[in-house]
Order: sequence, then C-alpha cells, then structure tokens
Amino acid sequence: MSRAVHPHSMTPSRPGRTRAAPPQAPTGWYAQPRMLRYLLFDATGIVYLLCGFGALRAVWMLGSGPSAWAAFQQEYARTPLILLHVVCLAAVIFVGVRFFRLFPKAQPAKIGPAKPPPRPILHAGLYAAWIAVSGGLSLILAGGIF
Amino acid sequence: MRHLLLRLEPVVWLLFGQGIMIGTMLLTAYLAVVGLAIPLGIVSPDALAYDRALRLGSSLIGRVVLFALIALPLWKGAHHVRSLSIDFGGLSRDIVVAPLLYSLALLGSLLALVAVVRL
Repeated sequence: MSRAVHPHSMTPSRPGRTRAAPPQAPTGWYAQPRMLRYLLFDATGIVYLLCGFGALRAVWMLGSGPSAWAAFQQEYARTPLILLHVVCLAAVIFVGVRFFRLFPKAQPAKIGPAKPPPRPILHAGLYAAWIAVSGGLSLILAGGIF
Repeated sequence: MRHLLLRLEPVVWLLFGQGIMIGTMLLTAYLAVVGLAIPLGIVSPDALAYDRALRLGSSLIGRVVLFALIALPLWKGAHHVRSLSIDFGGLSRDIVVAPLLYSLALLGSLLALVAVVRL
C-alpha cells in the first residue's frame, strides 16, 4: 500500500507569473447580510466553547460532593447566569436551524451505489432527531422519566 | 505544523461535525432544563437533587452523554473560532491560532474524561 502524499507535493517551488492582482476582500464585506449571518454562525463557536467548559464545571462539581453541587445550583440561579443561558440557548437554536437546513444540501449525489434520501425527508429527519433527543433528555433531566 | 494540521483535518472535521449535530441536540436540553427551567423555578430543583443527578450521571449511558455534552461542543467551538480568526486575520496567524484552539479543545476533552470517570 502506498503512503499518503504530502498535501503540498504538487505545489510549484515558486509562484508562477500572473498579471492578475492578488484577491482582495471588498470594503465592508462583513456587513453584507449573507456574510453577517455566516460570521454570526462562526461566532457561535465562542458560545459553544463557553457551554462546553460550563458543562465540564457542572460535572466536576457533581463529582466533588453534595455541598459543591448545592453551591453550583445556587450559582446557576443568579440573574447574570440565567441571562447568559438565554443567549446560549438562542445561539444553539440558531446553529441547529442553520446547520439542519444546510446539511441536506451538502450531501453528495451518490455514495457508491447508495443515494441519500430526498432533501425534505433528510431535513425532516434531522428535526425529528433534534426534537426526540432534546425532548427525551429534557424529560430525564426534569425528572419526568427515570 | 501546517502539514500536521492538514493531516489532522479529517479528525477535526469529524469532531466538529458531531459537535454541531450531537452537541446542539444535547446542549438544547441541558441549557433549557439545567440552565433555565430549574433556576427559574419552572422545574423543581429536586429533579436534579444531588443523589438523583449522581445516579443519572454515573450510569454508563450517563457518563457517555455527559462526555459528549462537554467534548463535542468544544471541538465545534474551536473550529468555528479558528474559522472566524481566518476570516478577519487571514491565514498568516492561523499557524498559532489553530494549534492553540485545538489544544484547548483537547485539554477540555481530557478533563471531561477525568470528570466523568470520577463521578
């Protein structure tokens, strides 16, 4: 079996001559509505980092004993943290709606002999999975089941 | 370093994609219930009283779900913040930003592993 090639192995040793100017972004590119939505989607990365480390802290406190867990729950009841969680939830829903809309469009036409399901079915399936997973987990966390 | 980043790209993209898909599904419930419903009194705090929370979290499925809840959003976050940095700063500083962000996600994932094991 041959080994993987270096990704830049075909790159010429020096850039070729060109009369074209180097590409430049137009002024104010970030203020275009489509770009703004795209950048907002990227910026949710900051929210996800916060949520990931926030959840890590929650699990760590749970593992630290009842008094640490009680202190953690009291901390979560503070207004600034509630407001932060509202913003985080809005960002997470924005990511879900945007990603689940884009996902069917990003599928290849064929994977070997198999074709992906039609876009509306894939879209509906993703929403069904989102509702099922979130709903089920919410019920468990809220004490509805188990 | 750039070569290593390119070689790791499929792994990072896998974790990033799962961070968006599974991370979003899990975070929706976590933020809605733990972050809002319980603190606002919509759901009784007894639902996540210490004993019940520990029982749920320390089961095998509970540990897997908690690990995914922590680690996957970190990879989604790291990759998207990297993308944001490229959009505004160009590729020149990516050689520093990308390893920094992925190291942060890796560190968080390792800590998540420790956190769920010690439950």
